[in-house]
Amino acid sequence: MAKEVYLWATRQISVQSPLREDWMDDPLYYTEPYVRSIDPDYKQYFPPNTIRRLGKILKRALLTSHRVMEETGVTHPDAIITATGLGCVENTEIFLDALVREGEALLKPTHFMQSTHNTISSLIAIDVHCHGYNTTYAHKGISFECALLDAFLQLKNEQIATALVGAHDEMTPNCFVLLKRTGYLGHSGNGFSGETAVNMLLGGQWRENALCRLREVAFLYRPGKGDLQQSLEHLLQQSHCCLEDIDAVMIGNNGREENDRIYRENCPILFPGKKLLRYKHLFGESYTASGLGVHAAAVCLRQQRIPAHLFINAGNGEQQGVKHILFYNQFENKNHSFILLSACGK
Amino acid sequence: MQKDIFVTGMGIISATGINRQETLLALREARTGIAPLRYLDTVHTEFPVGEVKRSNEEMCRMLHIPETEILTRTSLMGMLAVREALEQASLHGKTGLRIALVSGTTVGGMDKSERHYLDYLENDTKNAYIAIHDCGACTEIIADYSGLFSITETISTACSSAANAIITGASLLQDGRTDVAIAGGCECITKFHLNGFNTLMILDRDPCKPFDEHRAGLNLGEGAGYLVLETGESVRKRNVKPLCRLSGYANTSDAFHQTASSPNGEGARLSMLKALEKAQLNPGEIDYINAHGTGTENNDLTEGIAIQRVFGEKTPPVSSTKSFTGHTTSAAGGVEAVISLLALQHNFIPVNLNFSTPMSELSFTPVTKKETFVPLSHVLSNSFGFGGNDTSLIFSKT
Repeated sequence: MAKEVYLWATRQISVQSPLREDWMDDPLYYTEPYVRSIDPDYKQYFPPNTIRRLGKILKRALLTSHRVMEETGVTHPDAIITATGLGCVENTEIFLDALVREGEALLKPTHFMQSTHNTISSLIAIDVHCHGYNTTYAHKGISFECALLDAFLQLKNEQIATALVGAHDEMTPNCFVLLKRTGYLGHSGNGFSGETAVNMLLGGQWRENALCRLREVAFLYRPGKGDLQQSLEHLLQQSHCCLEDIDAVMIGNNGREENDRIYRENCPILFPGKKLLRYKHLFGESYTASGLGVHAAAVCLRQQRIPAHLFINAGNGEQQGVKHILFYNQFENKNHSFILLSACGK
Repeated sequence: MQKDIFVTGMGIISATGINRQETLLALREARTGIAPLRYLDTVHTEFPVGEVKRSNEEMCRMLHIPETEILTRTSLMGMLAVREALEQASLHGKTGLRIALVSGTTVGGMDKSERHYLDYLENDTKNAYIAIHDCGACTEIIADYSGLFSITETISTACSSAANAIITGASLLQDGRTDVAIAGGCECITKFHLNGFNTLMILDRDPCKPFDEHRAGLNLGEGAGYLVLETGESVRKRNVKPLCRLSGYANTSDAFHQTASSPNGEGARLSMLKALEKAQLNPGEIDYINAHGTGTENNDLTEGIAIQRVFGEKTPPVSSTKSFTGHTTSAAGGVEAVISLLALQHNFIPVNLNFSTPMSELSFTPVTKKETFVPLSHVLSNSFGFGGNDTSLIFSKT
């Protein structure tokens, strides 16, 4: 008998107020194309040498991991699984820039040592002396789904009892310039480019303060005609759920036509008549933004309400009483994913 | 109920050869692929390397794709190895199967980025390369070459990436998320990590000497290695012949340091123990260990101690084939999985080249004597990465 999987705690540092869910009622709105996260005052949490030694992405990852571990009392998660589209960009850039501009003679190891994608997961493991499963997924816009599925399968099949799953991407000014060139970010009419830092603690048991249940995760690469529909039906069936049960579908609209068009085409076929929710108007675009989307959906399920500003279609007020939120994400119309979250119940 | 996971195909490209056959021959003849630098444009010509002996243009021709295609060296090597693995497993055309590609890489498209970075910053001439810089792009290029894949995932855990990809592939199969999984990794040598490793002072100016008292660092290598994994049910349904079973696997964390391993090799010890547990094998049943064995002072000491802690006085034969291929970093877990399987299939133990003086701290010495026939039933392969990402895989004869 497979275990049920619960989301016990989740904390974020993003362009919204850090470590709090103020965005539910007092969201911050941005008009500029490039926005960096609001970092908390790290002096309150870390000794000065830690603050100096770690770049932004690492400080954010460490602090959010501390918070969810404290809140759940899980000091040594059985698995630490990180998603990051681009990894430790700042450290990579510093080393690369020096290599390109100054040549190969004068380089120093400091930034190279913290440039690999798995620096984040390793840092957390080193910090809490955690010898368990430790891995990192770096696959564009579904990095987070890959990490979540890994944790979900291990929890469901009782290989582990707890997992820390994180989604982390930083966006440096130079990286923004580069990704603007490719068309991914920063064009007129688009939503803004944000940064992601979210850590979630998942467990194989119900507990009092859990946010929601993680029912299923599925993703597909370049689905053919009918494949998405089939995948969705299978996912709902696996979860003993049907489309009628779903209160709302959260999607990754970001104002970029190439992106939004795919949702516009697929949503009426996949989820006819369903209310659609958004999250990138709050958190911006980044490779692992879906981690923040799932965070937002989980908070709604915990608080049993969906604030009006999350609804894409105008005319919806705040919705009370929420049982099931389906999460649908796609990246460049190549990677598509579904995640089903349900209110806890016992 | 755990399902048996079988390997039904494998593909490899490295300094020792561009396919299984060349690799097998080089291993049997104890012929290294490590040589002076030839393809990478760097000032550091003092370091011998394990380069794949083909230019990007030559690899394009091997793949029948235009040399003008926007591609990275990492993905070219990945495409070649995946193609070979798919062929061996008779996977082509419309299969009607759900096939996953789980690939490990860390440098991704850095070979192009380090060449064109200033253009990236200043103009639009090299935008196509920006779009294929990230790790996921590399996997998707490989997937699109055959067009067979309905799931793609990318793992990036530095030097254990490919081994962890194999674990993820197995996990997808265990839960019935896919019918077949192609898993492994690919990585080309870049100036970026050659220089990075140089700043850490872990590159040997001579051919590397794993497990030698006077070892002086690693030689960087490049390549790709992939396995085709499937369940017994799929093997029967497709009527293919399994090469072996992936009987055990484990991923643990050393939780010690970002770039150094712990003195007592705790992470390495745990990964080997847990893999044995998963395979339901006693340490004494392992016939050969294909070690991570980079040739750095730190790794070989730590790994050696961990091996002694797990296997006690009866250490099975150990060798590091990085003395043939160089350290192929993110690809290493895949390249060495294929090498381990070739050893298992052909009943021989690849020797550990360049060894002369035993390490004072260890009770065992690596295999140096060429023997034509050593019956093997169970082989263990280690891959350890930056950050203490330790992974062990066990392959068993069916």
